[in-house]
Amino acid sequence: MNIHSYEKVWLIAAMLLIVGFIATITYGSVALGITMVDDSEETIDPNALEEHERFGDLGVHQTDSDEYDVHVRAYQFNFEPGSSALGTHDPIVIPQGSEVTFYVTSPDVIHSFSLVGTNVNTMVVPGEISTMTAEFDEAREYGVVCNEYCGSGHHGMEGLVKVVPEDEFHLFSVADVDAPESIEAGEETELTATIDNDALQTEAATVTLEIGDEQFDTDVEVDAEASAEATFTVDTSDLDLEDADDLDWTVTVEADSPATLEDGSTSGTIDLETDEDDEEADDEDDEADDEDDDPNDDDESTGDDE
Amino acid sequence: MSAYIDQFPAEAKVIRSAFYTSFIALALGAAFGLIQTLHRTDIVRVIPSEMYYTVLTAHGVLLVVTFTIFFLVAIFTWAVTTSLDRGVEDIRFTWSWYVLMSLGTLFAAVAILAGFTDRTEMSADVLFTFYAPLQAHPIFYIGLVLFVIGTWLAGADWFRSWWAWKQENPDERIPLPTFMVLTTMIMWYLATLGVATSIIVFLIPWSLGLIDTVNPTLTRTLFWFWGHPVVYFWLMPAYMMWYVMLPKFSGGRLFSDPLARVVFVLFLLLSTPVGIHHQYLDPGIAEGFKFIAMTNTMFLLLPSLLTAFTVVASMEHGARQRGGEGYFGWLGALPWRDPVFAGMALAGLMFAAGGFSGMINAGMNINYLVHNSLWVPGHFHLTVGTAVALTFMAVSYHFIPQVTGRRLASKQIALFQVVLWFIGMTFMSNAMHRGGLLGMPRRTAEPEYDFPFETAIGTVGELNAQIALGGVLLTLSTVLFVANMLITALNDPADDLPSNTIPEPLSGSEDAPLVLDNLKLWTAIAVVLVIFAYSLPLGSIVERGGLFGPGGDAFPMFIEFVEGTVFGLTGDSVSSLVNSPLEWLRAMR
Amino acid sequence: MSSDAAALKDADSPPDESAIERYIGHDEFDPIGTLALIMVYFLILVLMWLFMYFVEFVGNEPTVVGMV
Ligand code: HEM
Ligand SMILES: [Cu+2]
Ligand SMILES: [Cu+2]
Repeated sequence: MNIHSYEKVWLIAAMLLIVGFIATITYGSVALGITMVDDSEETIDPNALEEHERFGDLGVHQTDSDEYDVHVRAYQFNFEPGSSALGTHDPIVIPQGSEVTFYVTSPDVIHSFSLVGTNVNTMVVPGEISTMTAEFDEAREYGVVCNEYCGSGHHGMEGLVKVVPEDEFHLFSVADVDAPESIEAGEETELTATIDNDALQTEAATVTLEIGDEQFDTDVEVDAEASAEATFTVDTSDLDLEDADDLDWTVTVEADSPATLEDGSTSGTIDLETDEDDEEADDEDDEADDEDDDPNDDDESTGDDE
Repeated sequence: MSAYIDQFPAEAKVIRSAFYTSFIALALGAAFGLIQTLHRTDIVRVIPSEMYYTVLTAHGVLLVVTFTIFFLVAIFTWAVTTSLDRGVEDIRFTWSWYVLMSLGTLFAAVAILAGFTDRTEMSADVLFTFYAPLQAHPIFYIGLVLFVIGTWLAGADWFRSWWAWKQENPDERIPLPTFMVLTTMIMWYLATLGVATSIIVFLIPWSLGLIDTVNPTLTRTLFWFWGHPVVYFWLMPAYMMWYVMLPKFSGGRLFSDPLARVVFVLFLLLSTPVGIHHQYLDPGIAEGFKFIAMTNTMFLLLPSLLTAFTVVASMEHGARQRGGEGYFGWLGALPWRDPVFAGMALAGLMFAAGGFSGMINAGMNINYLVHNSLWVPGHFHLTVGTAVALTFMAVSYHFIPQVTGRRLASKQIALFQVVLWFIGMTFMSNAMHRGGLLGMPRRTAEPEYDFPFETAIGTVGELNAQIALGGVLLTLSTVLFVANMLITALNDPADDLPSNTIPEPLSGSEDAPLVLDNLKLWTAIAVVLVIFAYSLPLGSIVERGGLFGPGGDAFPMFIEFVEGTVFGLTGDSVSSLVNSPLEWLRAMR
Repeated sequence: MSSDAAALKDADSPPDESAIERYIGHDEFDPIGTLALIMVYFLILVLMWLFMYFVEFVGNEPTVVGMV
């Protein structure tokens, strides 16, 4: 078999090219530390995600000072958390300068979880858990798309990752609010909010109460993985009540910082007793006490859906 | 000296039918392609977005299964009969595989197209990859199986011709075109084992409700076991045209027969053990397996790079014989006004570009950048969508007169058509590649989100305009092609057709080592390589998720049913083994 | 020019014999033009690869890295 000498030259060049490609990729793997999504996680029953230690507790979790785990469920046709465009779920919020590990799985069909304009991109296969660790050094937002066809609503499957400056990032949530069901108009009253801090360090939280058309702020220190109480004393005679029969209130924590998944607000209504309806109000008092915890259910659902 | 139809009138009829079937698929596919380009760029939306996926399934299946493979069986039948200079052994057998393939196509097409109407619950909006747990109607899968069995029988037909020929010519070398057909078919038999297992063992019983669940990673891996070699199945007939026809149309001769054989042997050996490169971003597969697939894939570049040299050298030989001079000046001496030559040469040029984006796709970690983005359709419209499709269209201008005995309707329009395809594809594919780098996803009816795609140069609007413009030009080009073929088929008979010959190579088969023709040896090595490449990954996937998966439901794209059961087997013994070299290297740092 | 003459011939006939000015055998043929062309391709491949890998890819952070 005679091979022309020019073709031999090309054969050598082609082999060099191939070896060069393999060398570049190995360099990326070894020297730059770029790892592939792999089989490091055990399989999971797609019909029982809630029973899984990670997917029973979706959202952002701090694991070390600058390290976070994010547990995401990709399902037809949303990411939870992530899909915030239509208010279906909260966006994923993580602090700048952190190392984040995403754990993603699917209860239904194959999806993808892909941060647009980055090299964070994985298939999400039911029964398997995709894990990816990446560092987020820039405070900005990243769009998330599903780039694997997953059914007729596939094109609507999107989400958002917000990387916020470290001092704006918190893992606070409002665990409970103790508020009266009814008060006499013009009386003074007290509301107490219990604030949880899931972060691994002590942090100061600004808790805000909106009541009627007034707003009150108070600062509390919350220890790592603990809770603290914030108490508001409100003199209803200072509020512009006009002829209202009830008073709406809302408690938020770090209202101005982008909400983390656990960040909650909770709200309720206080009946205002005036002279005319004094008697009726007395009758309702007992029932009202039982419903005291109602607002907190709202809050729970923000954090621990499913 | 006579045209093919005069030599083999009965075979010409089967070949003609296969060509026509493939052209119908091309025409329908292009119509769907036009809808897609205009829809996803939001220029014109004639269908609701949910229906986009029915269109896309039809586009994919009609073009990469029906169009390409029907064309292939036509060309391969031509190649075997011409190069062995004997008709098929039994024309009824030949018709039987053609009918089986057509029936399979019909079944699958009915299931897909039923998705357009609400009158029936039948549909198959699963795209041509049909990843479980998305589920199609059973007749979609049954159609695919019939089609594949049809191709198996076609292969048997060609092997039968060769065996019969060998009895009469025991000492002769396998003629090059037949050699190409046989090696390609061996690769195909090996490769289709994957998809056939996936469909027959898992997907059909599952779609009929006989089993409750499947293992999505397993069926997906079996799909790609076939899904990579199938790209070479599309490409091999185009390569054959470049090797045996392009030199003829350039006015020269094939540079080297032995190297052509080496190339086809390399494809037989290396096409299959690489499919995991489509699963670089899949969970549940060890990084080590991905790395092995990556190195195999990189070596699979070799036969294509060798082809580039041999084919260009054959063209250069033609150009020099036609008086071409200089380092690059000879290019001008090539017959650019001949649509058959020009189409093939432009297809080859686009393949050079598509080859590059393929090298990127093969690059394991760089896959994070491009995986499932619009870059990927940008890539394969250059390869299967141009290198293969445009070569097929160009050679049709030669073959249709050969198998019908009729005069080509218009050579000018033919030339315009191939150039138009080239221009249209330049626009569409370039913009798709660029869009992909911005993170625009493929397979998406409305790639419009709450957040913007960030562009460094240009705008998303400009990219969309280019995709749509390219798509329109391509559709126009397809219309011209199909019309030209239709008129040719009805045209007057021609009595001055060129004779059906294949010129002798410059360096002929006498220079090729005998071992190259030892098909048994190459088959054995190919099987061993596949066992090496796949037994561990498949074993590990089954060990992890069980044969029928770790539970989950079917997502029938036609009707809701089936509750999931739980299989819970996990394991990572093998994967830790294959990962150790990379881990060790990382630890070394 | 001979190539034009070939092109104007009947559509179906490949532009072979008639356009050929001289016959070049295996031993007299050195595909220098092919070598030149393919080396240009080689250069493009190398440069584009480096650009795609080190600029487009490595510059497209954040990137998936191993847990260190
Ligand atoms: C008229 C010419 C054509 C046009 C306008 C066209 C247009 C398109 C577009 C816009 C897409 C992307 C859809 C998406 O991902 O959202 C697509 C996908 C595709 N095209 Fe084409 N195309 C044409 C010809 C071809 C040819 C000739 C082939 C192959 C022989 C082909 C094979 C494919 C395949 C396999 C897909 C991917 C389907 C999938 O993702 O499931 N196309 N085409
Ligand atoms: Cu999707
Ligand atoms: Cu492939």
